[in-house]
Amino acid sequence: MRKPDVKVVILGDMNVGKTSLLHRYTERRFKDTISTVGGAFFLKQWGPYNISIWDTAGREQFHGLGSMYCRGASAVILTYDVTNWQSLSELEQRFLSLTDTAHPDCIYAIVGNKADLTDACAHLVEMDDGHMSEDIQDTPHHPASTTSTSSVLLHKQVDRMDALALYWRILRYKGLEENASPAAERMCFETSAKTGYNVDFLFETLFEMVLPSILKKRNEGDASTVDLEHSTETKRTKAGCCR
Amino acid sequence: MSVKAFELVPTVERELLMGDKPRIAIECVECCGQHLYVGTNDCFIHHFLLEERTSNKGHPTFSAQKLLQRYLGLKKPVAELKAASALERLVVLCDGVIVVVDMVTLEVVPTGGVKIKGAAAFCVNENPVNDDPFGVEIGVILARKRAVHIYMVYEDRVALVKEVATPEPPCALGLDGCFLCLALSSQYVILNYGTGSSQDLFPYNSEERKPIVKRIGREEFLLAAPGGLGMFASAEGISQRAPVKWSESVIGAAVCFPYVLALDEGFVTVHSMLDQQLKQTLSFRDGLILQDFEGKVVLSSSKEVYVLVPLPLERQIQDLLAGRRVEEALTLTEGARRNIPKDKFQILRKRILQQAGFIQFGQLQFLEAKEHFRKGQLDVRELISLYPLLLPASSSFTRCHPPLHEFADLNHLAQGDQEKVARCKRFLISYLNEVRSTEGTNGFLEDVDTALLKLYAEADHDSLLDLLASDNACLLADSAPWLEKYHKYFALGLLYHYNGQDAAALQLWVKVVNGDLQDPTRSDLFEYVVDFLSFCSNMDLVWKYSDWALQRDQRIGVQIFTKRPVDGELRGQINPENVVTYLQKHCEALLIYLEHLVLDRRIQKEKFHTHLAVLYTDRVLALLSQPSAAEETVSRPRCQLQRLLKESSLYRVQLVLGKMESSGQLLLERAILHGRLEEHEKALNILVHQLKDFPAAEEYCTWASASEDPTYRRRLFHLLLGTYLDPDVPGGGNTVAAVDLLNQHAAMFDPVKVLHLLPEGWSLQLIRPFLSGAVRGSAHAMRTSQVALGLACSENLQLQHDRMRYRGGPVFVSEKKGCHLCHNTFSEPDCVCLPGGVAVHTHCATQRLRNSPTKRWTDNGNSHT
Ligand SMILES: Nc1nc2c(ncn2[C@@H]2O[C@H](COP(=O)(O)OP(=O)(O)OP(=O)(O)O)[C@@H](O)[C@H]2O)c(=O)[nH]1
Ligand SMILES: [Mg+2]
Repeated sequence: MRKPDVKVVILGDMNVGKTSLLHRYTERRFKDTISTVGGAFFLKQWGPYNISIWDTAGREQFHGLGSMYCRGASAVILTYDVTNWQSLSELEQRFLSLTDTAHPDCIYAIVGNKADLTDACAHLVEMDDGHMSEDIQDTPHHPASTTSTSSVLLHKQVDRMDALALYWRILRYKGLEENASPAAERMCFETSAKTGYNVDFLFETLFEMVLPSILKKRNEGDASTVDLEHSTETKRTKAGCCR
Repeated sequence: MSVKAFELVPTVERELLMGDKPRIAIECVECCGQHLYVGTNDCFIHHFLLEERTSNKGHPTFSAQKLLQRYLGLKKPVAELKAASALERLVVLCDGVIVVVDMVTLEVVPTGGVKIKGAAAFCVNENPVNDDPFGVEIGVILARKRAVHIYMVYEDRVALVKEVATPEPPCALGLDGCFLCLALSSQYVILNYGTGSSQDLFPYNSEERKPIVKRIGREEFLLAAPGGLGMFASAEGISQRAPVKWSESVIGAAVCFPYVLALDEGFVTVHSMLDQQLKQTLSFRDGLILQDFEGKVVLSSSKEVYVLVPLPLERQIQDLLAGRRVEEALTLTEGARRNIPKDKFQILRKRILQQAGFIQFGQLQFLEAKEHFRKGQLDVRELISLYPLLLPASSSFTRCHPPLHEFADLNHLAQGDQEKVARCKRFLISYLNEVRSTEGTNGFLEDVDTALLKLYAEADHDSLLDLLASDNACLLADSAPWLEKYHKYFALGLLYHYNGQDAAALQLWVKVVNGDLQDPTRSDLFEYVVDFLSFCSNMDLVWKYSDWALQRDQRIGVQIFTKRPVDGELRGQINPENVVTYLQKHCEALLIYLEHLVLDRRIQKEKFHTHLAVLYTDRVLALLSQPSAAEETVSRPRCQLQRLLKESSLYRVQLVLGKMESSGQLLLERAILHGRLEEHEKALNILVHQLKDFPAAEEYCTWASASEDPTYRRRLFHLLLGTYLDPDVPGGGNTVAAVDLLNQHAAMFDPVKVLHLLPEGWSLQLIRPFLSGAVRGSAHAMRTSQVALGLACSENLQLQHDRMRYRGGPVFVSEKKGCHLCHNTFSEPDCVCLPGGVAVHTHCATQRLRNSPTKRWTDNGNSHT
């Protein structure tokens, strides 16, 4: 088994589309999913690097496993559903604390999925040849939706501003300086696993941003095998505010 | 979806264990090599010897032979049994007490005074850090105590090593290195008993559900998690594999690489650790214990013991392949990397990759197939051999055994679907091409190239010719009949040529050109053959086929000789004289060849020049003698003749002239010949009086004097003027021509001489342009010389002046000082002082003087201002 260089974890309430996002990115299509059991992971070969992407289960039942998945993560994708305000607030209530075990240099992205349901622009699918085209078989798959015409958009419950505000609160929670961390505007995404809108962009942006962590880890190389025990100890120390 | 990974084999049957005591139930088992120990609820330990056999159907069977049974004397069930085989001891938990018994006699051995009481569970560290060969480390949980005790068990004693406090009372444990993995009442944790650090894993309610802690390898544990999951956790508290999905009621788990087995009330499930998928489900009621012992998985109910025998990995992989589950087979193969010796693994992997490739090939998934063939380093001949008749008869290849695929050949694979066959062939073409270019042929280049040639020929593929024209290893003997079959005679010729059999190639091509064989590959095959002959170094062949070529078309055929590279190696050089002699009977070719020698190669040999001149002359004369010949058809050959006569100076003039004079024609040409003999008067006479072609006459003057000095030319022009004005000619002189000549070429004439020559009666007006030109010319000459004179005088004066000024004053010359004209330094004291006291080299001064305007004027006295 190839050893991953870094870990990226997708968190979020059930049904927000975590699995669908990962599918869209790795298999380039949108397909039926079943609610994830436990967790799943995918090893992505990104250039010379191996990145493991963990898809977690949003169901309450598996909530306890979250910190273990997040342990040592270099990036966490906090996912909500733009048509569901509750899913955003769950991120703060339930999921944020799971990331305490993440790597001190971990970066956080806030992703509003299912943008296709609320924004016409998210219907534009980037084709493989780089052109944009209108998504064809386009029927909003949402419990609340009774119509099947693409022109009827759902109410967007979560604004981009709400996501930005959450991001700032996360920084505060982590004790991170705003100007020493990636800007909120860069870290808040709206995506659609269904049409593929912004999905590649999301993952590629994050990979670019964790690259320093990868290189750092690779440089530590042999040293890390010796340091295993120390690293378990330092795991729990939280990043100080003037890091 | 399923694979058969394990076979359930009954091992200890009901009767063997309990005989006639129906209340006996199994509590725990231990297996150590061939030795199976069973602990029962009546406080007995039973010892069996297992013998593994293979039935004649290939199924594994076990026969168990009961060796011994011993009562421990505690009246309580034997709760746990663990072997410490290095010490020949069994560690037994019974009634909360840990006792040590001899593995052979099952007698309790003393523990050196240390009594372990109140134990709830224990485990053996299979990967101890202390590495003491005489002791075995065990971890013990005490009932309702918030601690784990680590003991060392020796042959004759037990010693407490450490007491590790835990936040809650533990209820299950695993031990690896110095990591203790514990199920506490509300969560799992990992403790490092060396450093004392702890790591929370995840919450789990151990009161609600039985926790499972199963060490699966170095610093990795498998844990029962909420929702019926099997979670993997490393000692660092990280999950490196995705969880497997068990049922909520799982009671036991075991690992047998690459599988995780779990037991619940009704089933044993088998998941792969490689892709987390469920691979096999065995129905099993009343299961109690599922444990692995050094690769053996033991499953037991309360009455019977079974062994789950893993099918050999290769067999499993083959089963997967047989079910066309290529991806899974490959994953399983890769997963086996650690479990199989390296070289053996490489062989296995290659083979599986090749088989996978063939499966995908059979499904026409060529891209994937190619990738697997490449990775598996497939002997390309395996693939070629699928296509009937492609491998050369001489090939030593035999398919590998056991076969890599189920196909007899392509027809079998395609089941008569011609479209499929065609696609497979296209694939093979591209594959072989790639193999060729990447040197992946493992030395079977002949087989590959021959196969490729056959495919190309059959498919009428353009690349056939490219293949043959480049370096190739096509086998002639095998390819020739094939190419003939597909009428690829041109290609066959190329192959003959490549194999050094030019004679065969030519013979074949000639037949095609002659129409005896049909091959439309090249419509210009004749030209090709001629070209081929022109480069052919085998002179016998050249002479053999040149007759044929010349008879077919002299103009093209002669290229055999004219296109032949001149400056090549000596071999294949032809003496032109021989060619000329040879071409005697092909006059058109001969003419072209001579033109080639004289005009293109500029061979300076009188013989060729004269020969060509004579042939040209003959040709023109022949044309002229045909009354029907049109002006245009004659004019070109005449031009060629004239050009030769004018430009060459080597031919024998008298001979050609004689030929022309006897014909009484070709006056212009005769004039040229006279000119060659410097008989200008005769020439001009012909031109002026016989031909009356005045432009030609003037042109003659220019031509005949082209390489002479200006006075020669003037002489000719005067001669021409004289000819024009010749009064002896009947009809009088050509006054008009003379006037035009004078007026247009005024510079060619000496005005004074001309005035003497002109008849008295001419009007001045007639030659006004000439005269005014002459007058202006002389005036110009006078003035320029006056200017030059003036300039020279003033320069002289200036020099005089300077000389006066500098007389006595020194002119400094040193190595550091540069000459003002050439800017080089002085190396000698000699110098010239220019006006102004500027020192220059003597040679620079001379140079300057030579180029000075005064000097130039005197040279170009003719130019007008
Ligand atoms: N319209 C729309 N529907 C989506 C999108 N992404 C996911 N869905 C749908 O939302 C539902 C849940 O998707 P999943 O990807 O299974 O959600 P999840 O976050 O993995 O859920 P859990 O595994 O239970 O945590 C499915 O019915 C998807 O079809 C999206 O971008 N647009
Ligand atoms: Mg999911």
